[in-house]
Amino acid sequence: MLNTLLFVLILGPFIAAALCFVVRIRHIRSFIVLAMACLLAAASLLLFVKGPFSHTPPSLLGIPTHWWILWGDDILLFTMLYYGFKHRHLLTKILVIFQIVCLDYFELFMVDHSKTFPLFVADNLSLIMVLIISIVGSLICVFAIPYMDKHEEKEGFQKSRQPKFFAFLVVIMGAMNGLVLSNNIIFMYMFFEVTTLGSFMLISYDRSEIALRNAVRALWMNCLAGAAFIVAMVCAYVTQGTVDAQKLIQAGHMGGIMLTPLALLCFAGLAKAAQIPFQSWLLGAMVAPTPTSALLHSSTMVKAGVYIALRFAPGYAGTFLSQCLAVYGAFTFLAASAMAVSQSNGKKILAYSTIGNLGLIFACAGINTPEAITAGILLIIFHAFSKALLFLCVGDIEQHIGSRDIEFMRGLYAKMPRTAIVALLGIITMMLPPFGVLLSKWMAIEAASKHLFVMVLLAVGSSLMVMYWARWAGILLSAPYGSQVTPERQGVLTRLPLLVLVGGAVVLSLCAPLLYSNLVAPILSAPSFSVRAGIFDNPTGAFLLYPVILVLGLGFICALYAARKARKARTSGPYLSGAQTKDPECFEGPMRKPVAVSSQIYYFESIFGEQRLTVWFNIFGGMFLALLIGGAL
Amino acid sequence: MDTIKTFIRKSRIKSPWLLHFDCGSCNGCDIEVLACLTPVYDIERFGIINVGNPKHADLLLVTGTVNHRNKKVLGNLAEQMPEPKIVVALGSCGLSGGVFREAYNVIGGVDKIIPVDVYVPGCPPKPEAIIDGVVTGLAKFAQKKGDTS
Amino acid sequence: MIRGAILVTIGVVVAPLLGGLIAGVDRRLTAWFQSRYGPPVWQPFFDVMKLFGKEKLVVNGWQVFCAYIYITAAMLSVVLFFLQSDLLLILFVQAVGAIFLVIGAFSATSPYSQVGANRELIQILTYEPLIILAFVGIYLVTGSFKISQVLLQTKPLLASLPLLYIALCYALTIKLRKSPFDFSTSHHAHQELVKGFLTEYSGPYLALVEIGHWYEVVLILGLCSLFWATSWIGIIVLVGLTYLCEILIDNTMARMTWRWMLGYVWTIGLAMSFVNLIWLHGR
Repeated sequence: MLNTLLFVLILGPFIAAALCFVVRIRHIRSFIVLAMACLLAAASLLLFVKGPFSHTPPSLLGIPTHWWILWGDDILLFTMLYYGFKHRHLLTKILVIFQIVCLDYFELFMVDHSKTFPLFVADNLSLIMVLIISIVGSLICVFAIPYMDKHEEKEGFQKSRQPKFFAFLVVIMGAMNGLVLSNNIIFMYMFFEVTTLGSFMLISYDRSEIALRNAVRALWMNCLAGAAFIVAMVCAYVTQGTVDAQKLIQAGHMGGIMLTPLALLCFAGLAKAAQIPFQSWLLGAMVAPTPTSALLHSSTMVKAGVYIALRFAPGYAGTFLSQCLAVYGAFTFLAASAMAVSQSNGKKILAYSTIGNLGLIFACAGINTPEAITAGILLIIFHAFSKALLFLCVGDIEQHIGSRDIEFMRGLYAKMPRTAIVALLGIITMMLPPFGVLLSKWMAIEAASKHLFVMVLLAVGSSLMVMYWARWAGILLSAPYGSQVTPERQGVLTRLPLLVLVGGAVVLSLCAPLLYSNLVAPILSAPSFSVRAGIFDNPTGAFLLYPVILVLGLGFICALYAARKARKARTSGPYLSGAQTKDPECFEGPMRKPVAVSSQIYYFESIFGEQRLTVWFNIFGGMFLALLIGGAL
Repeated sequence: MDTIKTFIRKSRIKSPWLLHFDCGSCNGCDIEVLACLTPVYDIERFGIINVGNPKHADLLLVTGTVNHRNKKVLGNLAEQMPEPKIVVALGSCGLSGGVFREAYNVIGGVDKIIPVDVYVPGCPPKPEAIIDGVVTGLAKFAQKKGDTS
Repeated sequence: MIRGAILVTIGVVVAPLLGGLIAGVDRRLTAWFQSRYGPPVWQPFFDVMKLFGKEKLVVNGWQVFCAYIYITAAMLSVVLFFLQSDLLLILFVQAVGAIFLVIGAFSATSPYSQVGANRELIQILTYEPLIILAFVGIYLVTGSFKISQVLLQTKPLLASLPLLYIALCYALTIKLRKSPFDFSTSHHAHQELVKGFLTEYSGPYLALVEIGHWYEVVLILGLCSLFWATSWIGIIVLVGLTYLCEILIDNTMARMTWRWMLGYVWTIGLAMSFVNLIWLHGR
């Protein structure tokens, strides 16, 4: 049973990818993707029900597993090397060759493959990750089916590139599942590299000059992460004599020498999660079609980075590395939130918000108390749902109105009420109580309150975050009065993922106490909260989740009722100094000519401008990284 | 329910918010209106507040003649005030067009465009007269039908 | 249980009455400062009742929705305060109301309302970190974010958090919409951008917003009272003096720009908070 599940979850996507790549018929491909999505979701649920395990699967086709891994790694790395040469990028070539040499030497001559330990170990953290990857990821793949048809139609490609696109889309899910389940860090490394290559392929999908440039940037930055990973692996093996992740985590407590590999692993995670100064690859990745952004850069792939940090968090608890990571994560949270304020490009706002939230998770991992770890894990769950939802909404909106700029989404409610409401809910679940992201943020702030710097950074960062979300939510609704609202048409495959995600984001927030007590609490060293009647309580503070939900819910119903009743009320145009015309969007200007009313959001270019801040933030980020690695050495 | 309705009526008298619109006046009346706000006359003691927004106003105070250019604005402002509301025309010009009533561009008094409740004559009316006019208007304001639900 | 019910009732019923009365006293004092007679102290109640009796005039249905959410959240935050709940939770619940009010302002296409909404967001951005840091200061002294723990203190918090209290007063000035920080919307007869982000709220909906604002005033003065929660006299003196200062500042300051506010309050406020926190940390 377990073998089958692992096979479906990890290798299933690879097989589906091969099928997608080979069978070039649209309907069959759609069917394969759909079937894969259902299968993955079901398998992940089954695995979840089975609970934590540690397991070594039988070798595939009679060949020892480590040979498969070695071949897989070599194929991957040589493919990357090929692209390095193709795009004439020196840094990529150097990094890949370095990895090839290190890896082959390490695997062939250093590692003793006869030692046996479970290859796959799953605790609740892994199981949560598997669920998120398999369910959110599958929904995104389903959304991609109609999306890509329209996208290709619009771009007018000669030949459909969808086989390759879908192949890599599903491969990434398999790789992510493998990454979070494996206990052997050599396995982890391989899956880590698969996501690198996959993201490169997906970003370069459009093959425009800018797409290729950004893809190469993503490639070299992730290769840097991979190189750090390899060095960490070698270091860990030299000092501890094992590649068993569980052993390494326990060994961390001995402190001293063990910190170097952990610091390097954190570095790999930070680069993968596009923390400052690596944010440019994630921002560049926004040129890709929206499902790519949604899958790689919101809910699954960048989560690999935070997963590594959280996984190894017990290993570096109470060390300088941990402190450093906390400040660094909080700094990224602030910096990314500040830069998001100056953006009008919807996808860029989402990207910066992702970077910021991942920074917050890193900060939680760095604070490293049970409360903080709880906050980090819950944030992963809630963020995945809300962010994937928002990405898909922006994709859908972009296909309808032809722009991803939030200024063009002004009054979207009048044009696409369904999508607008869903997007609005997504935004609200990202920033306001009683929803999960805020609950985790509350936990993070309370956990951080002993760390002065972290605290100040989080306080300022979270206000900035509220700012860029609130105005986006506002202008979605800014429709002229009395305009006719007719629901837009949506295909089933577009609407279903949106509805499931928005339902998930809302319902999971309601189930937060259950999630905590059943999933998160068992893996903590000590329970961080006592949960009774939906109230998270510990000596530091209390979050009255259910009471707040109850009252705000009642208020919501009253508000809805009142708004419905107000439909009968007299409508009047906005105040335009008495000069309004029959058209509510115009006032009477010179020569009695109507002049359209317009207003814009404040973007604070002079304060939070991306150009201005990026340089400084990169310098600070680089300094923090140097401190992180240097301190651990 | 009746007590609430009575209280709302009483509140109306106690809290009229005023929108002052200069409809082409010579500024004589406007200066007298502003004089009412100063500590000497202090109309805030009656709860009167000078607001700049028809949507918050109960009482439209119009000075000056109505001409073809600004009649639309006057109508628009009155239209954007929620019921119940009263209109007070101020000064000779507001009442009838005053000395300008024969001018080619002038339509006449305020009541040519919107219904007026209280007329305050004078060129310009004294602040006492303006206050008296407003207070007279309040009695009407309280009795006006509005949405009291 | 009975005590809880009484506290909830106080939060729901007495708080807005108190808030309205404070607004009335505020207007009366302001008039006194300007050597005017001023309106009666219960003038705010007349205003609100009159607004309830006005016609419903709607620009965008979402505004109605937002006004109701605003008052619910404001009420809930005050109730949570009286139930001696978690400080950060109270702030976040209060933020729900503040944010929905802004969303409502954005939903109307009037440029006055739009610019006002943008400015209100800047105000929220300015005061939120200060309040969070004040709470962290309270945490560092009492070891908890719960108000119930604050009330167990034997020494007034003001003694160990003087600078944080001043920083909180900046936040208070912004939240009360007093000069020099009243550029998103303002009190009484002050006008800025017509009425800033409240331009398009009218009639009964404006009344709801006004009552919500009373709740918020009570909440924020309640937060101030925590700094001398050891005795009733302390509470009354501290809150009374603070509010008097606010009125004085309101009447003597000119309205400034948002750039100035953001720069000034963040540098001075954050610096003071940080210094105060370092003191506490050092102990």
